[in-house]
Amino acid sequence: MASAWRFLSSLQLAIVLLILIILLSIVGTLIPQEQTPDFYRQYLPGLAGLVSFLQFDHLFRSPLFLSLVFLFLLNLFFCSVKQLPARFKRLRARADENLGYGASQLDKKASLKLGEWLENNPLQLVSLFRQHGYRVRLEQPSEQKSFLARKGLLGLFGPELVHLGLIIIIAGGLVSAIFSQRLTLALVEGQSEQVAGQDFSLRLDRFTTEYYPDGSVKDWKSLVAVIENGQVRRQQVVEVNHPLKHDRWRIFQVSYGQDWDRAWLELEVSQESSPARVVQVKTGEVTPLQNGLQLRVVSFLPDFQLDASGQAYSRSPQPANPAALLEITEGGQAVFSGWVFYRYPELKHYRRQSRNDLEVRLKNFEAPPFSVLEVSSDPGAGLVWLGSALLVLGLLAAFYFPYQEVRLVQRAGQPPTLLVYARKNQAAFWQEIKNLLGLKSIKE
Amino acid sequence: MNEFGLLLMAFVLYLLVMLSGFVSFFKPGQKIYRFSYYLALVGLILHSLSLLVRTVQSRQAPFTSMYESISFLAWGCVLAVIIFERKYRLEKTGPYLWLVIVALMALASSPALPKEVRPLVPALQSYWLWLHVSVTLLGEAFLAVAFVASLLYLFSGEKAEGQNEAAARKEKLDLMAYRAVAVGFPLFTLGALVFGMIWASKAWGRYWGWDPKEVWSLITWLFYALYLHTRLVYGWKGKKSALIAVLGFLAALFTFFGVNYLLSGLHSYT
Ligand code: HEM
Repeated sequence: MASAWRFLSSLQLAIVLLILIILLSIVGTLIPQEQTPDFYRQYLPGLAGLVSFLQFDHLFRSPLFLSLVFLFLLNLFFCSVKQLPARFKRLRARADENLGYGASQLDKKASLKLGEWLENNPLQLVSLFRQHGYRVRLEQPSEQKSFLARKGLLGLFGPELVHLGLIIIIAGGLVSAIFSQRLTLALVEGQSEQVAGQDFSLRLDRFTTEYYPDGSVKDWKSLVAVIENGQVRRQQVVEVNHPLKHDRWRIFQVSYGQDWDRAWLELEVSQESSPARVVQVKTGEVTPLQNGLQLRVVSFLPDFQLDASGQAYSRSPQPANPAALLEITEGGQAVFSGWVFYRYPELKHYRRQSRNDLEVRLKNFEAPPFSVLEVSSDPGAGLVWLGSALLVLGLLAAFYFPYQEVRLVQRAGQPPTLLVYARKNQAAFWQEIKNLLGLKSIKE
Repeated sequence: MNEFGLLLMAFVLYLLVMLSGFVSFFKPGQKIYRFSYYLALVGLILHSLSLLVRTVQSRQAPFTSMYESISFLAWGCVLAVIIFERKYRLEKTGPYLWLVIVALMALASSPALPKEVRPLVPALQSYWLWLHVSVTLLGEAFLAVAFVASLLYLFSGEKAEGQNEAAARKEKLDLMAYRAVAVGFPLFTLGALVFGMIWASKAWGRYWGWDPKEVWSLITWLFYALYLHTRLVYGWKGKKSALIAVLGFLAALFTFFGVNYLLSGLHSYT
């Protein structure tokens, strides 16, 4: 028991854990995380087996890393608990108690001066220290006089506040890891969808993309309605950095896209016998043309590309090389089938046609934009904010308002003792107090 | 006067401050010292104006591109150096600190870094950008002071002559590094980790995602936690302490440059 306690509360352990966590974290940034086994076989050929054995492909949620973090959490906890009794003892100590720091022997002159001060004019001493921001306590029963001045009470607990903040942050992280939920919804205008497993749905009422003059995206704005039991509970514009709050859920704008499967196309069809005609067609639908011809848009790709086996696919969702797969029939017989390209209207390589007077060009295209929203709930976040506040407060207290105290005690008929303690930089504080009391000649 | 002209003028003044500092190694004198102190102040004012003009013209935070961030970091370093000069007297450490500032200014003004204002992607349009980046860079400026002091500590060997003087100087470097960490660490914690988490939670819906930039800030931070604890509790001082402070700042530099250029992730906006 005792040795387990000593181990868990030791600083040696903290140092070792800090070093191990640093090293593992570095490894975790050098090896790309959360990729497929194929990825590792391709990029780290010799090491793929080791990576998967050590679970370095998801290092930050691997049992190894998590147990180190957990051990660190215990270490922080026990280490802080160990410090507490001494801190409270100091906080509650009587003015005349010597807690083992800063006891000094005063030389004769200084001793006389302080003794006289305490005897005849203690209130001046009190006001001197008050002026310098100390809390002062003066006790003068007949047999003994004691004077205690101190400041930075929060600073006394600075490290403990920092450590407590960290404990709460790590705990919050664990809560998040276990209980947080994230769902992604892609909605086009007017569409609504139930949030999986929840009793509310989201409806996208309006979606706009704003652009900078150079064409890059400035902002996405989704007007989102939260619907519960058929009633609109709230309606709000969601932008990046401005999520919508609904109970324990927050709804984020994460991305956008265009639903190319529902693209509208503008096609120019010409036949030898009649003038060119522009038709508007929707992907997947059949549209009658003149002279008994029927046109169907089989599919539309925004960024046409052929893969190794000759299959067409879209390389990206951006309209870099738009192409439509068309089929035109005449009395049930296909007379035209194949790809037409927006950027290369003359390219006829990817089509077969039996009627050579038939010419089709892709003049324009448009797809309904959809907004990608993320619905997330994170019960750990509150703890993380609380912990962060304590952490920052503790750092301020530890570094800028360190605890400092001065005790001056005189038993009847004896010379006074002066006890000075600072949690940080004891020597400089000694100097400060000597200057304050006008005692240049104290021997230590 | 445009923002870049102001920056170049500040650069020249910083260069002069550095040179006069090195010159005073050989010809110490109060006059040259006071003169270069005022040069530094004027440089800081011009540099501040440069950042201000940039901000007004671009209507964006003055640290959204590499050029801006480095200029801002240099500005923070000048501020840190002037504060330390006033409070603790940098003496022979000063010129080396100015050397770092001059290097940052040279980098910022080099043609390799594009100067034009680029519009911000949606995720960067947030007042948390201001808080997150400015406080982080300011913290890193103080950590840079600790870095230089620690490097000097490591490189100043045990000299035979003037033993006492050399020892006193090393003692002072050690203390200076600690004091700089004591300012830089809380600022870095607040700016990089706390404000970073708050912003990430607003922009991406999660406060932490083990993104390489996040992890490297954490690594940096853990190095300084190591620095403080080995020092506080083992009483490590001098060499070992200095080494940790140097490693910590290298981690900060890697977070700043390496992650953007070498590793990919959400934070690589460039
Ligand atoms: C990343 C994790 C940690 C951080 C950021 C942290 C931060 C701090 C800070 C800021 C201080 C005050 C330093 C000063 O006043 O100069 C401190 C002191 C201290 N910490 Fe930590 N700490 C961490 C982990 C730990 C752990 C795991 C332990 C326990 C083994 C520990 C034990 C201590 C002790 C014993 C002190 C000295 C308290 C005193 O001044 O009496 N720390 N810590």
